[in-house]
Amino acid sequence: MTVSLTLDNVSAHYGSTQVLKDLSLSVKAGELVSLLGSSGCGKTTTLRLVAGFLEPSAGSIRLGDRDLTRLPAHQRDIGLVFQNYALFPHLSVRDNVAFGLKQRGVGKAERDAKANAMLERVGLSAFAERMPAALSGGQKQRVALARALVIEPPLLMFDEPLSNLDAKLRVDMRVEIRRLQRANGTTSLYVTHDQEEAFSISDRVAIMNAGRIMQLDTPEVLYQRPANSFVARFVGFENLIEMTVTERNGEMVTATTKAGASLTLSQTVYGAIPDRFILAARPDGLAVRQSGEGIPVTLGIRTYLGRAYQYQCTTSTGDLTGNGPLSELLEPGAQAVLVPVPEQCCILPPEA
Amino acid sequence: MVKRLTPWLLAAPATLLVLAFLILPVGSTLATTFLEPKGWIAPYVTFFNSGVRRTVLYRTIEISVITTVLSVIIGFIAAYVVAHVPGRLKSIMIIAAVFPLLTGVVVRSFAWLILLGKNGILNSALLGLGLISQPLSMLYTEGAVIAAMVYLFVPLMILTLAGVLEGIPKDVLEAATSLGATPFGVFRQVILPLAMPGLIVGAVLVFTGSFTSYATPQLLGGEKQMMMGTLLYQRAMVTFDWVGASTVAAIMVVVTFVIVFLMTRLARRLNPMVA
Repeated sequence: MTVSLTLDNVSAHYGSTQVLKDLSLSVKAGELVSLLGSSGCGKTTTLRLVAGFLEPSAGSIRLGDRDLTRLPAHQRDIGLVFQNYALFPHLSVRDNVAFGLKQRGVGKAERDAKANAMLERVGLSAFAERMPAALSGGQKQRVALARALVIEPPLLMFDEPLSNLDAKLRVDMRVEIRRLQRANGTTSLYVTHDQEEAFSISDRVAIMNAGRIMQLDTPEVLYQRPANSFVARFVGFENLIEMTVTERNGEMVTATTKAGASLTLSQTVYGAIPDRFILAARPDGLAVRQSGEGIPVTLGIRTYLGRAYQYQCTTSTGDLTGNGPLSELLEPGAQAVLVPVPEQCCILPPEA
Repeated sequence: MVKRLTPWLLAAPATLLVLAFLILPVGSTLATTFLEPKGWIAPYVTFFNSGVRRTVLYRTIEISVITTVLSVIIGFIAAYVVAHVPGRLKSIMIIAAVFPLLTGVVVRSFAWLILLGKNGILNSALLGLGLISQPLSMLYTEGAVIAAMVYLFVPLMILTLAGVLEGIPKDVLEAATSLGATPFGVFRQVILPLAMPGLIVGAVLVFTGSFTSYATPQLLGGEKQMMMGTLLYQRAMVTFDWVGASTVAAIMVVVTFVIVFLMTRLARRLNPMVA
């Protein structure tokens, strides 16, 4: 049974501070959606609201056709995986996994059999009799995963599950989580502050800031076509250049920067360009040339990246970063121009 | 060489102190009962043949068990509240709990004399409200002794339990809830087993404290509610029956060991991690 999760205009407060503002979110049946953002953005609050550890001050939460909004946490039937594993230290690995089944009134023999089968799936059969204290971090998180999966919940939620593991294990575990989630087709909500983790594991990612979702899209779209400057900065568009259109000539648009540098951009490449916009580019989206049409800059520190040289450039309206070819070594202090590489840049609405 | 000896040298002063002031006196007290010319069993036969003394033993066990159970329940609830209130309020509550410990046992037992006496505060209040027509005699009853002892030992229980309860990670409780455990289920299957080590330490402290108490039963129980502590004093200091007093002491040591052993067994069944 796969169902969808829907949050409708949910607000939440801690005391008098509003931490979520009219948040709406829909996770389709069988989909894995990540909430990605820095600490304090409201991602964990969202997860706690769905889990039932917090009550929303407004809005509704639905899982399939069940209304969760006011349902006590223990009746929500959600599998949760915590950052600190949260295993029961006084129970053996098997009893940890069987805990949820016991609450559901499953008999001892059946729940032990199911727990054993689930431990087999996460490769921990040999550890069933052990106490959690005798396990490594990776093993603990596998037990936690097994414990959440064995109750066959319609929704799985992960709260920074890999943050306490070392880098190598993190990659293994996220493949494992994805494999088990896919195999069961369980709708999942995954909270993390790690962009690589979110992008690699998710069907879609919601980038959050200050209690709002800034953009909810597939990793590909987020990475290549951010919808606003916050998301653009988040996914590495270091250069955000404010521009104003001065002339329109069919598909071609001429726009100037605040400092007066003029660029000609094609709407066939960039899509419709509004009168005021932000040109967003990663360093490899701004090519450093000695002359030609572009944004005039003074070159600063040069770094060797292997595939290109990267230059810290200064302009009268701020610093920009661009990449230059290895064949052309330019010295700090020289004058140059930055030319947007069409496929690597995108047009964003101006910041409010 | 010096390195190997260092731990032993560091442990020596405390070991000698315990040996000289605890093991030797207790050992010699117990030895007294074994050196009886009529055979080592005789003093114990005498003790258990006396109906009065048997009653004192049973009463002491009964009062101590009731005191321990009440202190555990009241202390647990109070400690749970203390562990879950915000920081500033928590310090105030801890200070409030510790405060009675700063005065002596005698002073605190006297407070109960004032409360429960014929012309005491409680009787005056009940008379004033018209709930009773004659003052109740509440002093020199088992209830008075238990009330005073619970009051005496609850702070101890709160202190041992608050730390243990605070140490239970919140996400472990949330994990249990998310897996479908009701609030009572979380308490019984997670909080209680995890609090068990603290609960046992607290219960042992309260039980041994009330089992060996002297001032409180003396002041609030009098002759009528004699306990092992008061009996021991009477044997040794009033009748100068040293063998009898040593017998009482030996029985107290044995009962304490047995009860502590039973409590630890019970704890291990609830939480296998209790050492």
